[in-house]
Amino acid sequence: MNIIFIILITLCTFILIFTNPEAVLSSMLNGGEKALDLTLKLVVIYAVWMGMTELLEKTGLANKISNLLKPINMLLFGELPKSAEGFISTNISANLLGMSGATTPMGIKAVNELEKHTNTNYAITMFFVINATSIQLIPSSVLALRNTFSSSSPSDIILPTILATTVSTIIGILLVKIFVKR
Amino acid sequence: MFSYFIPVFFIIIFIFCIIKKVKPYDSFINGAKQSIPFAVSIFPYLVSIFILTELFEISGLSSLLTRVLSPVFNLFGIPTELTKLVLIKPFSGSGSLALLSEIFTKFGVDSYISRCACVIYGSSETVFYIAAVYFTGAKTKNLTKPIIISLIASFCSCVFACFICKVL
Repeated sequence: MNIIFIILITLCTFILIFTNPEAVLSSMLNGGEKALDLTLKLVVIYAVWMGMTELLEKTGLANKISNLLKPINMLLFGELPKSAEGFISTNISANLLGMSGATTPMGIKAVNELEKHTNTNYAITMFFVINATSIQLIPSSVLALRNTFSSSSPSDIILPTILATTVSTIIGILLVKIFVKR
Repeated sequence: MFSYFIPVFFIIIFIFCIIKKVKPYDSFINGAKQSIPFAVSIFPYLVSIFILTELFEISGLSSLLTRVLSPVFNLFGIPTELTKLVLIKPFSGSGSLALLSEIFTKFGVDSYISRCACVIYGSSETVFYIAAVYFTGAKTKNLTKPIIISLIASFCSCVFACFICKVL
């Protein structure tokens, strides 16, 4: 991340020195403002979902879900530390069901939990790739936008989207299996 | 049908609260109060990603890259009009959504280009954003491999999207 950051930011600033020097600081501040907007929205989304997730854990439903997903988890990650397994399972089921608000808090907890154990590099990589290529069943924001543009058949794109996102997840999983040592 | 999903799921949770005699109000508060420190901890990561996206766009680097990469993307069957979307999507969800509506206005919402753009938008994720957020407070900073793998997988899905929209 450090390397990407320094290359991109140096290159962009360098170009702007010649083209539009005033824009450097103003666009950085602009970016920060957008980040703050998003953070405020996220506070609300996370508050709702983290509240619900707490209920999910306290009622023992999280454990049930993780037992249900155990075969899939074994196949993808191998043996997992018990403490991380619940978070991973909830994250994956939230991904599958398109509850994007719930995936992030669970995801971060899962990564932090995995980090406490040794030899979890493979699991962390696999977990990240699954999230970064996540299967989305209903692309709701796209559907809404197609509606506003009065498309003749907004839902046309659902099937191709599901197919394409499945392809990306499968390729991601295969690449991890091939290139990352357990 | 999908709109029923979340409410039904919540009802199941509430029923379990009653059966298991969990204190629902206290538990909810306990969970919800973690959200602010949590959002605070991801804020700096978001700022850095957004600054990069802004600079990337305003410096003209993104349009330069679009021009350079278009012929390469064409080889894989990705139309020139969609190169920018493929490039922006890993960085910014809101940016690519704005681009999507631009494409709709330009080419018409039911055109091949627009449908293709929808599938590309819907099937890939904001990889860099996820990388920044998921590894908040994590010690492993070596993210090169996971990021590259995710980007390759996303690119494959874009290629596949352009192909499938031609067929269907």
